[in-house]
Amino acid sequence: MDHHLLHELEHLLGHDGVLSRPEDLLLYEYDGSVEIARPQCVVFPAKTADVVRIVELSNRYKTPIVGRGAGTGLSGGALAREGGIVVSFARMNRILEIDIENHRAVVQPGVVNADLSLAVAHAGLHFAPDPSSQRACTIGGNVSENAGGPHTLAYGVTTNHVLGLEMVMPTGELVRIGGKAADAPGYDLCGLFVGSEGTLALVTEVTVRLTRLPEAVKTLLAVYDRVDDATETVVEITARGITPAACEMLDGWTLRAVEAWVHAGFPLDSAAVLLIEVDGLREAAEEHAAQIAEVCRLHGAREVRVACDEKERDLLWKGRKNAFGAVGRLSPTYYVQDGVIPRTKLPETLREIDRIGKENGFEIGNIFHAGDGNLHPIILFDARDSKQFQRAVSTAEEIIRFCIKMGGAITGEHGVGMEKDRLMPFLFSEADIALMKRVRDEFNPAGLLNPGKIFPTGKGCGEVRVRSQRNGAETDSTHEESSPA
Amino acid sequence: MPGLPPLTHEEAQREFAETLSGFTAGDKPEYADYSRCIHCGLCLNACPTYRLWHNEADSPRGRIRQMALVDQGRLELNEAFVTHIDRCLDCRACETACPSGVEYGKLVELARAQIAKNFKRPRTSRWIRNFVYRRLLTDPRHIARIARAMRFYQRSGLEAIVRGTRILRLIGMSKRAELMPRIDREFFFSRLGKTFPAQGERRARVAFFAGCLAQVTFTQLNDATIRVLQANGCEVVVPADQFCCGALAAHAGERDVARELARKNMKAFSAEAFDAIVTNAAGCGSTLKEYAQLFATGREENESTDDAERAAEFSRGVRDVTEFLSDLGLSARMREMKLRVTYQDSCHLLHGQKIREAPRKLIRAIPGVELVEMPLAEQCCGSAGVYNVTETATSMELLKEKMRNAKSTGAPIIVTANPGCMLQLRAGAKLHATGQDVLHVVELLDRALTNA
Amino acid sequence: MSSAARIAASRAGEIVGPANVIDGADELAGYEVDGLGPGAAVRPGTAEEVSELVKYAAAEKLAVIPVGARTKLDMGMPPARYDLAIDMTRMDRVISYDPGDLTLSVEPGIPLTKLAATLAEHKQFLPLAVPFFEHATVGGTLASGVDSPLRHAYGTAREFVLGLEFVSGDGALTKSGGRVVKNVSGYDLHKLMLGGIGSLGVVTRVNFKTFPRPTPARGFFAAFETMEKALELRQRIMSSKLSPLTLDLGSPGTAELFSSATAAKIVPEAVTADLPARGKWTISAGFWGSTDVSARYERDLRQMAADCGAARVDVIGEDEIPGQLGRKREFVAIVSALSPGAVVMKLSVRASQLRGAQTEARNIVAGAPIDYATLTNGAGVIYFAMLPRRAGDAAQACRQAAGQIMKAITALGGYATIVRCPLELKREISVWGVPREDFPLMQRVKRAFDPCNIFAPGRFVGGF
Repeated sequence: MDHHLLHELEHLLGHDGVLSRPEDLLLYEYDGSVEIARPQCVVFPAKTADVVRIVELSNRYKTPIVGRGAGTGLSGGALAREGGIVVSFARMNRILEIDIENHRAVVQPGVVNADLSLAVAHAGLHFAPDPSSQRACTIGGNVSENAGGPHTLAYGVTTNHVLGLEMVMPTGELVRIGGKAADAPGYDLCGLFVGSEGTLALVTEVTVRLTRLPEAVKTLLAVYDRVDDATETVVEITARGITPAACEMLDGWTLRAVEAWVHAGFPLDSAAVLLIEVDGLREAAEEHAAQIAEVCRLHGAREVRVACDEKERDLLWKGRKNAFGAVGRLSPTYYVQDGVIPRTKLPETLREIDRIGKENGFEIGNIFHAGDGNLHPIILFDARDSKQFQRAVSTAEEIIRFCIKMGGAITGEHGVGMEKDRLMPFLFSEADIALMKRVRDEFNPAGLLNPGKIFPTGKGCGEVRVRSQRNGAETDSTHEESSPA
Repeated sequence: MPGLPPLTHEEAQREFAETLSGFTAGDKPEYADYSRCIHCGLCLNACPTYRLWHNEADSPRGRIRQMALVDQGRLELNEAFVTHIDRCLDCRACETACPSGVEYGKLVELARAQIAKNFKRPRTSRWIRNFVYRRLLTDPRHIARIARAMRFYQRSGLEAIVRGTRILRLIGMSKRAELMPRIDREFFFSRLGKTFPAQGERRARVAFFAGCLAQVTFTQLNDATIRVLQANGCEVVVPADQFCCGALAAHAGERDVARELARKNMKAFSAEAFDAIVTNAAGCGSTLKEYAQLFATGREENESTDDAERAAEFSRGVRDVTEFLSDLGLSARMREMKLRVTYQDSCHLLHGQKIREAPRKLIRAIPGVELVEMPLAEQCCGSAGVYNVTETATSMELLKEKMRNAKSTGAPIIVTANPGCMLQLRAGAKLHATGQDVLHVVELLDRALTNA
Repeated sequence: MSSAARIAASRAGEIVGPANVIDGADELAGYEVDGLGPGAAVRPGTAEEVSELVKYAAAEKLAVIPVGARTKLDMGMPPARYDLAIDMTRMDRVISYDPGDLTLSVEPGIPLTKLAATLAEHKQFLPLAVPFFEHATVGGTLASGVDSPLRHAYGTAREFVLGLEFVSGDGALTKSGGRVVKNVSGYDLHKLMLGGIGSLGVVTRVNFKTFPRPTPARGFFAAFETMEKALELRQRIMSSKLSPLTLDLGSPGTAELFSSATAAKIVPEAVTADLPARGKWTISAGFWGSTDVSARYERDLRQMAADCGAARVDVIGEDEIPGQLGRKREFVAIVSALSPGAVVMKLSVRASQLRGAQTEARNIVAGAPIDYATLTNGAGVIYFAMLPRRAGDAAQACRQAAGQIMKAITALGGYATIVRCPLELKREISVWGVPREDFPLMQRVKRAFDPCNIFAPGRFVGGF
């Protein structure tokens, strides 16, 4: 990296605000995903004006620049794929304003998701998007990735809760879009920028909607001997027009892994459990819970439990929220996929995932947001066996292609990032991608902001770069795609 | 070495085989343990030092990564590594946050063992560490001797003179001085070897683990603990030949010292059968419960596994006093006390031993006592063993935040479950003039008893 | 008909078939936008035909306006040019409907009523209770960005449009989003098209998330002597645990409008509860659920209304919901029908500014020969209608007031635009309100989608 640039960054932010020693940079080459990419420096702006200056410098020195929150993302969105400057927003973590009367909050991007909910809980409010990483992930990151979570089934994802943004454009201007009031005139720019995976602007301030906490919450656990019965229950609940606040499913393999560690009380001999939550007015929650219990039994649930208190509810959720970690105890390297399908295709798709797994010699666990058809198949593999690793990746790809065939999408909440750029052409036509690129180029003309993300980087018949790492032991491998990208 | 290009799978495997590791054999972070970290980042916001500086290098995820990198020969065991590992409070809040069950406490202690072995610290630092961990803590006679000298300093008027000269401030020691424990008039050593009968029907027979420094600074607490146990139907035996639990040595990476102390304690407590070995220090309890871990690593190939098995057996009997009383159920009659208190989780109770409800249950069991939760009670107060002495500035920053939260409850009493935390919080109450009193859970119970 | 128009019509005929080209002057008059008529109008039957038409238009730099039922063509600024109307009403099919998944895919020319009938078979619906409901198409509804009283419970179209297929300015058939309810694959380009009045492309397919019909629904109605008391009830409901389907605040003028013969003509379904509220401020809310749930709503709402000093409270049954919701839905249509010179503004402010905003607007029209009526929905959007009492100076007063209100609302940190007004007013002020700092960003969006600037040039925000 140009030492003049480094010098200017240090001049701007102080020594404390810039990391450039190799041993520090090694710690910014990862996030929550299986991807690896090392920056040439990491900077910690303290205020919006710093971000403006950093972007100006990136332009002047033609150096790529990538925003980062807590680095919990699952598609490599915060990694410096082409090197350059990582801008960590972790220190811009102040809640600037809480407006109880209008149910609004204005926050800096580094505010941790759960901290905002904590700060407004006294007023009976919360910030609704609740990704599994909510205790660590930042709202800036949520905005970039349009984060979801279990309760987005009823409450919507991040884009439904963001009303305004202050952003530094890749060209250096500071702009504000939207605001506290509804319906800013003109195009829905918030709709475009939220979920643009940090490729269009660096967000420096977010105005969010706060949501009232429900009066009552009912959590049910339904236990099944057949996976199909569980998936058919989900289809029926949806069809009956009951919208649970959350509807999560764990298959037998996963629930056994979870139970061994969390002791949430999942019966070990069952084939699947559904964790369903309804909330709202006391009367409504009770009725809906009763209706759901009836549907579960109708579809062969051998047991339906209703959490009687907060403690039981927490325990049931603990099983769900710690599921990936529990799997991690079985095998430190696994690949979590993220695909979406229409809910009516759940039974068929789970059968196909099972078939694909068997064919490729993998046991695949499934734990997912059943209520909105958002699948998270987990493929365990041994990273030290490069052939197995490649097969895991191609198996995952086969699953995603099946999701597309079912009318689904390649990612429901993790983002495309550098993990799935090569899958974009399976879902989108050349024209679709060309327009998205034109939009990106309008805002990010030099391509310096978060390069190498979302859009396929391969040229023609794609060489696929997949990287896995076990805590630093990185491995690169390449394999030929079966069809041209 | 840093800055190397990424490796292929084959190269990585070869690298493992050729052991380019920056760690030496013996006590070291093991692949099987650190590779359990899936770098999801859920620990970040739970980590006190990450919350202060927001640097990956000072986060649990980043520290584990650094251990992995050293083990894989991609990072040197150099000063930078030592700094980040030193800065860890070992509060283990990350373990509570971790969905993958990474045993971070174990990893960091093993990393420190490697540092102790393979990194040359400045001469003074080496001398102090050697003295504290190898001489002072291993021998109760040294503790008593030093304590007497300090008691003289504190009570002869010398301390007042020193403070009056403001010399402490000049040499940057004024805050550390606040942290210095008040030496007891009477030491607990005299109770060693004694048995205290149960009041009323005997419901249990327990051995009391008295601690090391606590015997010269927390005699009142230890006495209160025995009284509360007695009042609740426990016969309390204080085995004579007990030593420091080894926690401080283990945390500092001096595992051979810790092992030696463990062997002594295992012996001291194995003479008789007890329903439980009870401690009132969460830090000690956490180590006592993990003695087996001490013997799981660093063993020579032909060495027997007896110690490890004996340790596991010993640890099964260890209970924190709050855990023990909560499970046993309070039987003593308590008077009503109109009090508002707040509770600060001791890290090694909550994160080390996963005990959250027991102390709260006991506090709520006292008639008239209202427990007001403070925000972020699960965050470390900055005491962390000797951390407040070795990393004073950081410790004080954490303490400041802690006292702000404690004060926000409006409770005149802060209750906690570990002597180290009590010292720190008392210093905090003084430094930040919150006017709050700091008590151990059993002291609060004791007040309800003795005034009955 | 000019020769250029003749050529355009003949080329378009090759694409869509001569029967689907409209070039008669009488018929074309119906396609006029703010007094400007196109050279030709064409009625494509497939997305491919739309794509061909746009490619042709792009090559010839013809200005294109996509239209549906043509109920809201007077939104936005007058077009700078207008050569070709693409009439989407032939593309009116349901492409796929998966009731079990609550997802639906339709062509944009489908009328809302036809779509509602299809959904009703499965006891489902789309919360698009928009003005001109009896005629409007899906495409026009989405492009115009009009909102609905039901947004309080369901949000606006951005919350339930899952994806769009459209033809962008280079004629490419493009899509974004998808058919599934949760999706972060690629940019959400479709969100930009909602409310873009056709300035970015021609929508050829819409994927929706559908909803179970909230029945049985009931309505609640409270009348107040003052706006302050009514607003207090609104705020109480907002911070309670209740989640009504709709929550609207009407001014005395609105009660007057709703009981007019014009209203009865546009919304034939009867209402009784509104009638005694003439001269009062009214809060009306819809809610639904079982007997227990409804009873809870009724009890809580009555209590809160009483606490706020309501002059009168009514609860109405399912049979009167269509009349109540219909009138709120058709507010703009009723105003327009009553007074051709009416100006309807959309004022969007924070809840805490509702009082200030309405007071400012009232003060501005006070003393002028203007009647006014307001309807404030649950999202805090105020529809402020100014009805000139006579032609001439009253119309001039409306124009002045509109400008002043825009300034006042902007000063409050809100947004003020004009939804409907006489053409003359557009010559004096931009209906999109005070220019905002994000308009230049929008220009970049426009450039990416429509590089030749052929879609509805001049009509949208910032003059593009």
